[in-house]
Amino acid sequence: MDILVIHLFNALLYASVLFLIAGGLSLIYGVMRIVNLAHGNLYAFGAYVTAWVVGQALAGAHPVILYLLLPAGAFAAALLGAILEPTLLRPFYRRAEEYQLLVTFGLLMILEDLMRFFWGPYPLTATSLFEKMGSLKIGESVYPRYNLLVISIGVLAAGFLWAFVYKTRFGVVLRATSQDMRRASAMGVNVNRVYIQAFTIGCFMAGLGGAIVVPGQSAVLGMGVDALVLAFVVVVVGGLGSLEGALVGALIVGIVREFGVSVFPEVELAVLYLIAVVVLLVRPAGLFGRTA
Amino acid sequence: MLDVQGIDTWRGPAQILRRVSLNVGSREAVCLVGRNGAGKTTTIDSIIGLLPVRSGKIGFQGREIGDLPPHQRARMGIGYAPEDAGLFTDLTVSENFQVCRWMAEASKRTDQVSEAETDNRIHAVFPEVLQFRQRRGLFLSGGEKKMVAIARAMALSPAVLLLDEPFEGLAPVVVTRFIEAVKKIKEMGISMLIAESNLANAVRVADRLYAIDRGEIIYQGGPRQVFENEDVMKTIRG
Repeated sequence: MDILVIHLFNALLYASVLFLIAGGLSLIYGVMRIVNLAHGNLYAFGAYVTAWVVGQALAGAHPVILYLLLPAGAFAAALLGAILEPTLLRPFYRRAEEYQLLVTFGLLMILEDLMRFFWGPYPLTATSLFEKMGSLKIGESVYPRYNLLVISIGVLAAGFLWAFVYKTRFGVVLRATSQDMRRASAMGVNVNRVYIQAFTIGCFMAGLGGAIVVPGQSAVLGMGVDALVLAFVVVVVGGLGSLEGALVGALIVGIVREFGVSVFPEVELAVLYLIAVVVLLVRPAGLFGRTA
Repeated sequence: MLDVQGIDTWRGPAQILRRVSLNVGSREAVCLVGRNGAGKTTTIDSIIGLLPVRSGKIGFQGREIGDLPPHQRARMGIGYAPEDAGLFTDLTVSENFQVCRWMAEASKRTDQVSEAETDNRIHAVFPEVLQFRQRRGLFLSGGEKKMVAIARAMALSPAVLLLDEPFEGLAPVVVTRFIEAVKKIKEMGISMLIAESNLANAVRVADRLYAIDRGEIIYQGGPRQVFENEDVMKTIRG
């Protein structure tokens, strides 16, 4: 029984991080209709910044300060997003989709090299936060308390995001712009401002995903690409552009992957892609997506 | 109020408008009539800024607005109700209104009416809207959508309204209802430019009339006098 609970926690842990990454990707696509291939490395950037701040720059500081600094990576990724959107992406909105894919793919590469340039090729860790929280006894087994914190952050982020999109003034304007940006602009909405805000929030979510995983695992080069591939599985299953879809997709991928690792480890990733293929065949827009 | 001077507008490689000039005065309802494809929607889109003009000038309240993005033109007080209503169908009717209301507030215009007065005006023109304020745009009939589109444009507290084919697709009895609504809006001191393909409807609401064909203005004058111009009548009616 306790093993089952641990598997469930692991699935939720995985789903929480995946939701943050895929939710950001989906939000950006939903509003701006851009598939941001650089999104994975914004997640990695968040992980590197938090690992560097917590694990190196301020490693000797009081643990409370270090926990408070955990979202540093998220804020850094948001700042980077706020710079990238108007400077690098905006000129390509009127171009064909291929240009946007090329630009964001190029950005993925550039960010990877920048992280290598600043932090070198070796993994960065911030394990002190993970270790300080200790473990929880579940039956005969133990489970890291830090993982429960990550799950809580994922749940809170989903709740905040839902409230933000559906219960705030900005959320209403965001949904209007997402549905028809030309008409929104004719109603007085400054679409450029909405775009930069949506992109910044999307990057914040990716950065937060990276920031909260880094005490539990190292920040390494290539982690962004791995995360991006799984985030795409999530959005394919849930529906690109849908936050509800990102949440359900992340839960499905989290559960299937966790139980796949235990039950059918050899084909765990293949099963995930198979699910994505089946969804694409049966419901091409994803579970919560809309057909054009 | 609104002064369009010699605009040329293109859609892709095709020139749609050729030296189009028209003006709308204060508290005036002006109709732009023409057959489908004559250039009515393109004229409206050019004025609100959804299509760039290649040459000519667009003035609003004495200020040149031809280079301004659409959101700035809207915030200056140009309301717009598109031909297909263009509602944000995922949003409730109330949220559709709020978007425009918030944008009016953001504009900090001194000539805008209060939120309460805006609501009163909307309900005076379309009392039906009260019944479906909490309904999502997706679940409205064609006529209701058109109603909400005009009411939403009023939520911007506009000085001038651009109505693109407001009576199209409506049953004759509903058209009469809309014509009454348009007259009420005019009584509230809001100017209007109405693109309309049905001359009979246009004549019922217009103070002045422009006729457009193949992107060129072929007539301007009183709504009744157009019937005396055989060439124009032939062109409009096909």
